[in-house]
Amino acid sequence: MTKKSDVSKTVSRRSILKAGAVGAAAMSAPMFYARNAWAEKAIGNYPISGDTMMLGFNVPQTGAYADEGADELRAYKLAVKHLNNGGGMLETMTPSKLTGSGVLGKKVDFVTGDTQTNPDAARTSARRMIERDKVIMFGGGSSSSVAIAQQHLAHDLGIVFMAGLTHSNDTTGKDKRRYGFRHFFNAEMTGIALAPIIAKEYGKDRRAFHLTADYSWGHTQHDAMKRATEAQGWTTVNNIMTPLKSTDFSQYLTAILNSDADVVVLNHYGKNMVNSLSQAVEFGMRELQKNGKTMEVVVPLFSRLMAQGAGSSKIQGVLGTTNWNWSLQDAGSQAFVKSFEAEYGFPPSMAAHTCYCQTLLYANACEMAGTFYPPEVIKQLEGFEFDGMGNGKTLYRAEDHQCFKDILVVKGKSPAEKTGEFDLLELVDTTPRETVTYDHKIFGGELGSYEPS
Amino acid sequence: MNKSTSIFSKYPIPIFSLVVLSFPFWFEYIGGYPGLDTKILIWALMALGFDILLGFTGYLSFGHAIFFGVSAYATGLMLKHFSPEIIPAMFIAVIVGTIMAFAVGYLTMKRSGIYFSILTLAFGEMLNSAALSTLQDITGGDNGLTIPDVKPVLFGIRMDGLSMYFLAAAILILGYYLARRIATSPFGLILKAIKSNQERLEYTGIDVQKYKLGGFVISAIYASIAGSLMVIYEPYVATEYLHWSTSGELVIMSVMGGVGTLVGPMIGAAFMLYFENVLSVPLGEEWLLVLGIIFMAIVIFLPGGFMEGLARIKKRYFNKSNKEEK
Amino acid sequence: MNHIFLQILTGLQISALYMLIALGLTLIFGTLGVVNFAHGALFMLGAYFAVEISSQFGFGVAIIAVPILLFIIGIIMERGLIRFFYERPHTDQILVTFGLAIVLGEVMKTIYGANNLPFDIPKWGSGIVRLHEYLPFLEGFVAYPKWRLILIVVSFSTVISLFTLLQFTKFGLIVRAGMRDSQMLAFLGVNITRRFTIVFGIGSVIAAIAGLFGGPITQVEPEVGMHMLIPSFLVVVIGGMGSLPGAVLASLILGMSISFTAEYAALQQIIIYLIAVIILLVRPRGLMGKKGLME
Repeated sequence: MTKKSDVSKTVSRRSILKAGAVGAAAMSAPMFYARNAWAEKAIGNYPISGDTMMLGFNVPQTGAYADEGADELRAYKLAVKHLNNGGGMLETMTPSKLTGSGVLGKKVDFVTGDTQTNPDAARTSARRMIERDKVIMFGGGSSSSVAIAQQHLAHDLGIVFMAGLTHSNDTTGKDKRRYGFRHFFNAEMTGIALAPIIAKEYGKDRRAFHLTADYSWGHTQHDAMKRATEAQGWTTVNNIMTPLKSTDFSQYLTAILNSDADVVVLNHYGKNMVNSLSQAVEFGMRELQKNGKTMEVVVPLFSRLMAQGAGSSKIQGVLGTTNWNWSLQDAGSQAFVKSFEAEYGFPPSMAAHTCYCQTLLYANACEMAGTFYPPEVIKQLEGFEFDGMGNGKTLYRAEDHQCFKDILVVKGKSPAEKTGEFDLLELVDTTPRETVTYDHKIFGGELGSYEPS
Repeated sequence: MNKSTSIFSKYPIPIFSLVVLSFPFWFEYIGGYPGLDTKILIWALMALGFDILLGFTGYLSFGHAIFFGVSAYATGLMLKHFSPEIIPAMFIAVIVGTIMAFAVGYLTMKRSGIYFSILTLAFGEMLNSAALSTLQDITGGDNGLTIPDVKPVLFGIRMDGLSMYFLAAAILILGYYLARRIATSPFGLILKAIKSNQERLEYTGIDVQKYKLGGFVISAIYASIAGSLMVIYEPYVATEYLHWSTSGELVIMSVMGGVGTLVGPMIGAAFMLYFENVLSVPLGEEWLLVLGIIFMAIVIFLPGGFMEGLARIKKRYFNKSNKEEK
Repeated sequence: MNHIFLQILTGLQISALYMLIALGLTLIFGTLGVVNFAHGALFMLGAYFAVEISSQFGFGVAIIAVPILLFIIGIIMERGLIRFFYERPHTDQILVTFGLAIVLGEVMKTIYGANNLPFDIPKWGSGIVRLHEYLPFLEGFVAYPKWRLILIVVSFSTVISLFTLLQFTKFGLIVRAGMRDSQMLAFLGVNITRRFTIVFGIGSVIAAIAGLFGGPITQVEPEVGMHMLIPSFLVVVIGGMGSLPGAVLASLILGMSISFTAEYAALQQIIIYLIAVIILLVRPRGLMGKKGLME
């Protein structure tokens, strides 16, 4: 035991509890370390004992985002299957050192947890995975606050966290952490990608009224959209912050009717967005004439699940951005969609895609590093550039752990256009990666050290 | 209650201490893990304090998240901006929590029954909204108050893992001892009299308002200490700490365990957290449905919670001789 | 002028939905003395049935079928669970119905998923009404969704029907007498239990109406019952537990205050709680509450 604490400053509690039992194991530790010259410390759950690499999938299973969580979990299970047995994007991803027979000779296994879309619950659940189930990486989730809460925990405990669906600038901005990575795009990129296209479509002299969900993601989304549209020549008439729990938006929509705005920007996500969009349509905001123009509604962040919730009669013709859509025709997307459909009988959502990619990317980084030692794996992920995963050439930027890739601008299909229950979004344009790349310094924040203190 | 003195009623504090102090050493054999045991103690402390209000006076507060949350924020801000030493942080947190308790208690304790519950709920929701929007520059809004790279210490000893557990354990044992003292003190008896008949008590000339407020504040101090410990255990503050669902969970824990028994709510807290984090895993997305059904069953069939269940089992299997004598 | 008129209309429309849910809550409380936290869940069930039935057979069928279904569910709920809680403390009633609300929400989630079900407004109710064509005092162009105006009409008609039922029928007379003193009625040989069961059914029917007409506005999802419960419960408490006119008045106050604070985010988020605190501190039992109830 004493030997073990020599090599590790952070003695885990379990190691104290099991002090007697692990005495023998600790004796053999120096030999183990000698084999891996770079590994000087036990960090988090490294080194892995046994021949299984355990991953933790922490997704919302209850609450408003349970459907997204269920889809994330499906994708995770598929990713584990592919890592162990080959298939899916393993065949399209480049560069890749994945073998399709486990990772670094270990079989991949997983445990699941419920974030309840509540940062506190998510952290407790993550701790279970880390302390009891000994995961080497965990990921998932469907909200930025949950992602941020978990990535701070990840950094404190030395476990890599691959965030699921999180779109707030803060995740890789002021709250970025060395142990957290994001594959999803963010509010800033949405603004840069969407503004030129709506300006082209609706004209450069538009007057916009924003409704913004009053929480961190909403604020960053509003801020990004305001800057990007004003750069295109638009005027921002007003912005109203709407409480997160609102179900009825009529009082805000009335204020818009009373103003001289001719575009409504809904910085809402999830049920907020489904409600506000449906109600804006109900208030006639897509037919009214204002300032001699037809009023328009813009939804910056679009997802197929939300489009489904609103119904295609509401979303038809509405423009927004999305991370990925199952109708993409590139080889990576096709490989993923085909195997997902074969497994579950329907196409995956963008949340599923993000979670699937991140699992593969993490596993690949371990293969490239030749070890599970977190600082080495992180260094492999930082600045890693890859292709064949559905978004074209993609980069994990080293400075803030944000992914940069082409951004899809989509439009809701009308009931007549859609060919099936899941065919709701039509690709309008793709904004190239170079255009949406911004300077990482604008958001501040510190990644922190490679080794948790 | 049971006439035949059980071992527990003979030596409550030593036995309680034994269970609490040995807890981390056997918890993992039933699927527990280190982070959860500390969290259970913290919630148990809050549930214990809540019982001083609900169990003694019968006042159902839906706003105890206020004290838990406010003191959590105070602790977080102190750790982040002042010093990682926990004593000043806890001190300030408890003071802030107590001031809050006097203010909220003074206004709400004038009402009773459902009107009291709604008033406490309303204060809680107003504070939660403020933390989320108006004060988000201080509180970090829904991202929570993140406290990167701060490791709380007590006299230079880092508070994590077992050291944190034993700190929480020491406070909980002390809290339990004091709660038992309060229960048998004249003050506690008056609080209990408020529950059974407030009007009669008023006729005797006792300033009931003052006693009620006292009970409320003591109960809130327990919640403040719990909130402070939560942030020391994990340097991060979630806005959910202030949300009414935190108060709601507290009510559910107390009812499941057995209101008015002091030990019951603590068992309820342990059960809830254990269920939510360990038993929920095999149940998957249906865990909340199962919990809802268990909760309903307890309210319907066991109004006294687990403690009543225990008492019934005891009566059935251990006190046969007593019954026969009757 | 336009501005104020629109805000008033919006306030009325927000009140309309709160009123419908609060009416059922306070009716059940006033007659049976039961605090039913599962009332929001009844509203949720009503909305789900409305989507399901109207997508299969049309909205016309749903208007008939959903209230009947909810009436039956209400009766089952009262006979199967609630009646065992008449003698139990109010806290037990709150807790058991709260548990029931969680269970019902989770059951719907298991069946339909957590995502929204799209609830399209029927053709005859969709679109906007150009109000300036009817109201000469409005300047220029003022339009409002037809469905929201229908909701206001439906809500106030429901209130009037309920008052008529309680005020001018024999059934209402007995129920009102039962609210005062149920023991006396039992002595007189009146079967008050059966009538109280029917009252619970009526409360559920009002929740069904709210689900039918409010569903397209609030959207249909498992948590919508909980979302509506808290403001509706505030309405009941502010109005005074068990007082029907109180509930109507309180929902108007809350609806208007939400509508008029729309542009002041910080105030808007707390306004209903702020009003609750002020009213309860000034008037201990709400606007029209009776002494001794729920204290």
